[in-house]
Amino acid sequence: MTKDRFKNTALIQASLKKRYARERRFQMYGKLAVLAGFVFLFVLLFDIVSKGTPAFTQQHISIAVNIDVDALGVSSTASQDEISKADFSSLIKSSLREMFPDVKSRGDKRQLYRLVSIGAEYDLRDKVLADPTLLGKKQDIWMLAHSQAASYLKGQITRVIPEAERKVKNQQMDWLDRLREQGRTKSSFNTTFFTYGDSREPELAGIRAALQGSLFTLMVTFALAFPIGVFAAVYLEEFAPRNRLTDLIEININNLAAVPSIVFGLLGLAVFINFFELPRSAPLVGGIVLSLMTLPTIIITSRAAIQAVSPSIREAALGVGASKLQTVFHHVLPVAMPGILTGSIIGMAQALGESAPLLMIGMVAFIMDVPGGVTDSSTVLPVQIYLWADSPERGFTEKTSAAIMVLMGFLILMNALAIILRKRFELK
Amino acid sequence: MIKQLLGAMALAVGFSGVANVQAQGRDSVSIVGSSTVYPFATVVAERFGRSTSFKAPKIESTGSGGGLKLFCKGVGAGTPDITNSSRRIKKSEYDDCQSNGVTDVIEVLIGYDGIAIANSRRAPQLAISLKDLYLALAKDIPDADGQLIPNPHQSWNDINPALPATKIEVMGPPPTSGTRDAFAELALGGGAKSIPALKTLSGFDSSQEQEIKSAMEQLGIPVSVYQAYVESKGKKPKGKDIFKTVAYSVREDGAYIEAGENDNLIVQKLEANPNALGIFGFSFLDENGDKVQGSVIDGVEPSFDTIADGDYPVSRPLYFYIKSAHVGRIPGIQEYAMEFASAKAMSEDGYLPEKGLIPLSKEELAQVQADVKSLKRLEM
Amino acid sequence: MAGGGLGSLNSLPKHYGYMAALWAGLPAFFLFLAWLALEGHYIQSMVVGSLPAEIQAMSDDEIGLYYNQLVGYAQGSVDRSMLNEDQIAAANNYQQLVAKGQAMKFLLVGSLAVLGGMLATIRVSPELRARNHVENIFKWILFSCSFIAVLTTLGIVLSVLFEAIRFFQVITISDFLLGLQWSPQMAIRADQVGASGSFGFVPLLVGTLLISFVAMFIAVPIGLMSAIYLSEYASRRFRAITKPVLEILAGVPTVVYGFFAALTVAPFIRDLGESLGLTVASESALAAGLVMGIMIIPFVMSLSDDIISAVPDSMREASLGMGATMNETIRKVLMPAALPGIVGGILLAVSRAIGETMIVVMAAGLSAKLTVNPLEAVTTITVQIVTLLVGDQEFDSPKTLAAFALGLVLFFVTLSLNVIALYVVRKYREQYD
Repeated sequence: MTKDRFKNTALIQASLKKRYARERRFQMYGKLAVLAGFVFLFVLLFDIVSKGTPAFTQQHISIAVNIDVDALGVSSTASQDEISKADFSSLIKSSLREMFPDVKSRGDKRQLYRLVSIGAEYDLRDKVLADPTLLGKKQDIWMLAHSQAASYLKGQITRVIPEAERKVKNQQMDWLDRLREQGRTKSSFNTTFFTYGDSREPELAGIRAALQGSLFTLMVTFALAFPIGVFAAVYLEEFAPRNRLTDLIEININNLAAVPSIVFGLLGLAVFINFFELPRSAPLVGGIVLSLMTLPTIIITSRAAIQAVSPSIREAALGVGASKLQTVFHHVLPVAMPGILTGSIIGMAQALGESAPLLMIGMVAFIMDVPGGVTDSSTVLPVQIYLWADSPERGFTEKTSAAIMVLMGFLILMNALAIILRKRFELK
Repeated sequence: MIKQLLGAMALAVGFSGVANVQAQGRDSVSIVGSSTVYPFATVVAERFGRSTSFKAPKIESTGSGGGLKLFCKGVGAGTPDITNSSRRIKKSEYDDCQSNGVTDVIEVLIGYDGIAIANSRRAPQLAISLKDLYLALAKDIPDADGQLIPNPHQSWNDINPALPATKIEVMGPPPTSGTRDAFAELALGGGAKSIPALKTLSGFDSSQEQEIKSAMEQLGIPVSVYQAYVESKGKKPKGKDIFKTVAYSVREDGAYIEAGENDNLIVQKLEANPNALGIFGFSFLDENGDKVQGSVIDGVEPSFDTIADGDYPVSRPLYFYIKSAHVGRIPGIQEYAMEFASAKAMSEDGYLPEKGLIPLSKEELAQVQADVKSLKRLEM
Repeated sequence: MAGGGLGSLNSLPKHYGYMAALWAGLPAFFLFLAWLALEGHYIQSMVVGSLPAEIQAMSDDEIGLYYNQLVGYAQGSVDRSMLNEDQIAAANNYQQLVAKGQAMKFLLVGSLAVLGGMLATIRVSPELRARNHVENIFKWILFSCSFIAVLTTLGIVLSVLFEAIRFFQVITISDFLLGLQWSPQMAIRADQVGASGSFGFVPLLVGTLLISFVAMFIAVPIGLMSAIYLSEYASRRFRAITKPVLEILAGVPTVVYGFFAALTVAPFIRDLGESLGLTVASESALAAGLVMGIMIIPFVMSLSDDIISAVPDSMREASLGMGATMNETIRKVLMPAALPGIVGGILLAVSRAIGETMIVVMAAGLSAKLTVNPLEAVTTITVQIVTLLVGDQEFDSPKTLAAFALGLVLFFVTLSLNVIALYVVRKYREQYD
């Protein structure tokens, strides 16, 4: 008997080492899994930030322009109308030729013109419109660089790459080097990116129109989803009788939360656009579709928040003779509000990042103008990202990443707000 | 009590004071159509929006066929004003327009574009003939006995030993695209004509029913094809019609990959896959010359000059079409067309050739400008 | 109300106020909505009715354009020079009508509000059960808000079903569900030679499942192991920091993942494969699946975390007390207890993967190839819905209708996965509650 016991102990002792080793291995797998999650997150963020950061600076080139009335084809006392129709494009081209008189062939000239953005002529026009006394004067004017020239100035493209494989050719690099030596180049914060709408030229493309579109869309979404969601949650938590209908509603809400977002897009297309004939590409329809999509999130989180309110509050209110409705609106909802807001903000963040259903309702198009209302054609930030991601010009890759950074910035802000609210809620 | 009542009334009155959200009049030009013309149209639209007081047009890229379908749907603020097309409008589409009340259409020729068969710069440049392309991509091709069989070729050197031993993998646009139509007509049709039996077939007139049928039998085309044509069209086919159904059909077994309406995407995919070929407009080749290279076709490399001269065998004109009924009703249509046809945009030094459009000759340009000014109606 | 003092009232004074307010506000609000819906049509018919006969003789479409133009002028976006005298007159007429309409609306809505308020005020008496009255109305409002969820589901089912039925009139259900070939880009004109237009759903299903499988292959081990580590091993502090950071992955918009997959991961995997001598498609299912897996990690993690935490501590302690290591406790005690819940969670994750759109639209292919090799390009249900519908608004060809048939399938697949998952999770919960 005692012998057996010793044998068992020995056996256990022997197996312990193995068991502990297994334990350590298992713990390591766990650590590795967490680490893998971190690595993915880091790679994703690093990839986007490193690609997007250059987009926040823009490059200007200073060109000596003789704002000659004859070259523009206007009189020296030209009216605003006359100036706005003048040919500033050829003025800029001739100024460039004057700065580089050795450029002769047609192909070389084309390359020379490609140093400045097409936006430069409109900037110059606006400058002259604002100050007509510039007419007839010779002046150095800072002009927005073409995106390819800018990529060289930013150092993204170097001479190491064989000339055939890059868009900026050697002689363009020589010209840019010369300009840089003369102090005729400068780099500054990219305001264009935040003040302009979409453009076919990477250096002129901005997110303003998409941001405004997102704003209008979210406004519609919030105006619909928040009151409806909170009321629905209140009904289900506080008033709903236990019957088939209530069960039906509850099952529906749970299922809607799991319906793929693109199906909501199909609904929007079939019902709001084809049946109700609401305008295509409009934030109004986008907002309605997104509000249907976020409604389950808001209802579910609001219900949880209402549930979490301690029954003593309800009982106290009911005890002093308050009606059910009074109890809910005067006592339960104020306590649950931070939780409800947290859920709503998370729902809004979801809506802000969503793009699939909006593709279905025509919010993917080339739209330059900043929308002025909920029925104007517009696009939203995530769809703009989708559109730019498909654009061939290399300059758009950094714009896409930069737009992603802005979008993520908004999302982080919204989530931080939600977390702060939750923290305050928990303290109570 | 009075407080709450007054509050509600104030709210109600406030609501009623809210400005109407009712459908506003559409005041910007709506454009649909070809993805090949899209880059040119957006550039013009952008400049038009910046330099005039009109709103910038809204442009959706739907493919030439898809665009014309929307365009011909009818007249009214809910339909597009302009459709871009990378081929001429077909008679069937023109008739469709007519029957839907779109009676007056203005055609604007904007320039030329070659269809490039391109691959990644990481792979060697390909030299290929139209016949090779036909044998690689047609759905049915003649075997050694001249009988049509489903295309058996798997790699390029099955067709022509001079070609590389890589898998046939060609990315191109779907049927909504004008590029696809033009490719089928110019490349596949062109290649099929180098096969004597098919060339003979295409030469027969509709009266030569017997000859057509015997040629079909020789090629192994079922007679039902003939019958089906008679049934759907209500008339006897010409040899050319049978030829089209045979020669213009593209493989569906995975060698030809429909890569969507987006030509940019094809460029990106080629860059990632050096063995694949892609079919898209020359302007995209020009724009992405650092990533992809055009194949030499029948000894001619696609370039600005070879396309303008007509030497490059697969090139086609680009157009856009304006709905006359909308001109003057929707602000900015004619002005946009004028901007498009202006020397600033379309002449050799204009900003469109800079984006890869092959410009019109001086005479053609003058003619187009005059047509736009007078809103000349298209007759077909 | 005098005499008895406040005590003689049935309800608090403000409830009478609420009642009056509801009586005043609600009908006025509905009138306002109805007005909004009808005003445009009414004004149009009024303006068109006053136009000269030769213009009224135009087709409806042309009148619509004509009207659009004069409205544009009235709103200040169309230049005067484009209009003729008739239109300017009509535009002025339009402006007057709009102004009149505005005034009428103001008056009508306002007077309805006043009327409702007055009616309510007249009804007010000490005996009136104002509070119950108000509460009943409120309950109805609350109920209709929650009923919107049912209407949404109904809307989805009807809109998708309606178009799908039209599709199945052209393509039989068995051809659709069992067909092995998918090439929907059929000819769009009579004289065009397009693809044959086969609508076999199997390749799409296989592609979707392949990508989802790759995603699960990444997400389940990492998500589950992270959850186990964080709930059983990690210190509170570590957990408090780690969990929210990993949950950032769930908050990243899918379009961002799509961009990451298409521009970074896919080329990387391709180059990696090339260097190993493998042929990898530029849009391999592997790349899309991998990135989708990253997106789903936090989803799997928090679901498993909830379920593992729900296992009663008594079971843990019993096992540890018997001398089992943590590893053994987890594998032999916690896992069997939590398994149904975890399976339910994984089913939910699969349903998300199947319905995910942007990642696959940007990073997966378009050609429907029937293969289970993750190095090749496949296409998915959601990709095809987007490709079939974006740009083309025609509702008469099987091509566009097919998108709705796919939507229907997608809806039911995700729905049933969800129902099964919820059932499994709920059943499991009952064991310990």
